[in-house]
Amino acid sequence: MFNKFRIGKKGENIIFGTFVLLYIGWCVNSPDMNIESLKSVLTIGLSVGIIYGLVALGISLIYTGLDVVNFSHGEFFMIGAFAGLTMFNLLGNQDWIFNLFPDAYGWIIYVVCLFTAFVSMGLFGVFIERVFLRPLTKKGGGYTVAGMGIIICGFGLSVVLINVAYLIWNPVAKPFPAELGLPMEIGGLFLPITYIWMIVVGLSVAAGLWFFLNKTKMGLGIRAVAYSKDVSNLVGINVPLYISIIFGIACAIAGIGGTLVGPTYQVVVFMGYIILMKAFAAAVVGGFGNLPGAIVGGFTVGIFETASSFYISGSHKDLYAFLLMIVVLMIKPTGFFGVQVKMKA
Amino acid sequence: MLKIDQLISGYGSVQILNGANMKVEKQSIVALLGGNGTGKSTILRAASGLIRSWKGTIEFNGEQIQNLPAHEIVGRGLVQVTQGKDVFPAMSVTENLKLGGFILKSKQQLSDNLEKVYNYFPRLNERKDQLAATLSGGELQMLCIGRGLMSNPKMIMLDEPSAALAPQIVLDIFKNINRIRQDGLTVLVVEQNVRMALLLADYGYVIKDGVINVEGDSKKLMYDESVKESYLGGTKANV
Repeated sequence: MFNKFRIGKKGENIIFGTFVLLYIGWCVNSPDMNIESLKSVLTIGLSVGIIYGLVALGISLIYTGLDVVNFSHGEFFMIGAFAGLTMFNLLGNQDWIFNLFPDAYGWIIYVVCLFTAFVSMGLFGVFIERVFLRPLTKKGGGYTVAGMGIIICGFGLSVVLINVAYLIWNPVAKPFPAELGLPMEIGGLFLPITYIWMIVVGLSVAAGLWFFLNKTKMGLGIRAVAYSKDVSNLVGINVPLYISIIFGIACAIAGIGGTLVGPTYQVVVFMGYIILMKAFAAAVVGGFGNLPGAIVGGFTVGIFETASSFYISGSHKDLYAFLLMIVVLMIKPTGFFGVQVKMKA
Repeated sequence: MLKIDQLISGYGSVQILNGANMKVEKQSIVALLGGNGTGKSTILRAASGLIRSWKGTIEFNGEQIQNLPAHEIVGRGLVQVTQGKDVFPAMSVTENLKLGGFILKSKQQLSDNLEKVYNYFPRLNERKDQLAATLSGGELQMLCIGRGLMSNPKMIMLDEPSAALAPQIVLDIFKNINRIRQDGLTVLVVEQNVRMALLLADYGYVIKDGVINVEGDSKKLMYDESVKESYLGGTKANV
């Protein structure tokens, strides 16, 4: 889960470097290339990338715990955005909050929304795992017949969750008008504050997760369960409980991602699918099952996608993430922070 | 202390144990011997709750523990030490040991036990900040046993502590197992190294085809012809 950074062998590095140089050359040749556009590409790329990274973090976390890819993870992202929006609408017309904090009104409401999304999606994730996936995880996670069942179940769950959300919130795209203040000026560039906010919150969540996994007892247990369920059982870890916790944390992080995206874009029932696919690309680029790799992969995909749609062609925006994934898979199948095949006990 | 009665169990639909009976007295060392695929490890896995017992009872300290969740069995003081090399390679030695004391509530207890394990195996103390992946085979086995001792068990079950180790190290580890017993623990050793195991143990069981074939005092078993037969499937050899 926490391998050292190594890109690859010498040959791999040369091929990869050639690709990167070609790409940079292409971008520099573009007529739109100037320092201003580069700055905005970087900021937007990083802010989009951290969202991909957060969802990828959840996918990787579930992969380390259960040895399967959770294909319904995008829906947790979407429902998290709706949970945040619902809280926002509840609090938005409460005058007493405004009277209490006239200055930081928008911020306080937004933080409460983030927190709501985090907690509610955590609980929702645990509920889903306990009710729908437990019969399958009981028979052994991935690497067994039940593992395929979990993957199919993920697809089905995705369809069900989209339709439930459709029933509750209808398919109209909804604005998330969080009042976070005026655009901020960074290096002569005016940026909506939500972009900065996304990067800051996203990185704090990732850092918090790192701290949780490495410095707390529960984190130690989670790492143990991720490595081997048998040995974890034998040291007295309640493995089913820890699998629920892993699932809950992954969903909670996805929920935060959804609420972070809300104010910048819109909240739609169908927003989960494409995020899932791009987060999957980010996880593959960073190294599947590697948590720091998920964030790095998210940034890479985000910047690559934004830069390409800026300098190459904006009409193929959704294509670039997968292009990058294919190139990385061709040159270094394990991703940047490659994890060797997991040894089973 | 541990009493296994007519235990039937297996993996999936394959039945391995066909009604095994065993008894381990308090503060004794009992050896469970047998060839490959006879069901030695299966007995341990059933006792520690990793696989389900289909039929029969497992009693520990007078309470039935069959089919309890594995972590509860650890909480009752019955700990299995799996066949070596089963440590967490990306964690340091200390972290691995702390993981062994996962069920302990107090930090004081944890550091006391850590001290105790380092006392048994000074080698681990020398290497406490190294990653477990860098340890040698013997050190890994010590780490496994140490990890089992971290949770204050009443009884530990060792699965082939001598597998793939040099004779000198095996001797060293067996001496430590004896010390562990003298400190008040009960030990069940599953072994393929018959002579060493019988030298160490007070009582021995020989398992064949999922049932206990021969049992008796280890001194007696050492010269028992049927042990050789049962163990090596009829061929006689110097054991």
